[in-house]
Amino acid sequence: MQDYLYDNNIDKFPIAMAYVPWQKFDKMYDDLEKAYCTGTIFPELDKPFTGRRCV
Amino acid sequence: MGSNKEQLLRDIGIVDFVLTELTLYLDTHPFDCHAMEYFNHYNRIKHQMEKEFSMKYFPLNTRMAESSKEWRWGMAPLPWEGECG
Repeated sequence: MQDYLYDNNIDKFPIAMAYVPWQKFDKMYDDLEKAYCTGTIFPELDKPFTGRRCV
Repeated sequence: MGSNKEQLLRDIGIVDFVLTELTLYLDTHPFDCHAMEYFNHYNRIKHQMEKEFSMKYFPLNTRMAESSKEWRWGMAPLPWEGECG
């Protein structure tokens, strides 16, 4: 799998396509109860989605 | 983590969720040893918890259904009897 860094290779990305930046696993929530209620064990994916835009 | 039946069952569900998350991550990052260590760790914990629950209360799956005096798997509450959370 190619792992381009978006910031360094922006010119290589075709236009009009959507990209999902690659997740890098560092650590997971220590409080598993909290993770369960949040819906993810990954702090970096814990986003306050509003239904219109993400904050 | 608690030790009574409901609490233990809930905790097993939580660890199961953690394993689902790690599985999804590892599906797209199959060489991430750090994540694999986490997966192995929680997989062992889940197995211990299921074993403990199955010995104390009723088997959660047929792999945990070893019996002698009565067929414990068949005696376990059915899902629609509301015991399985």
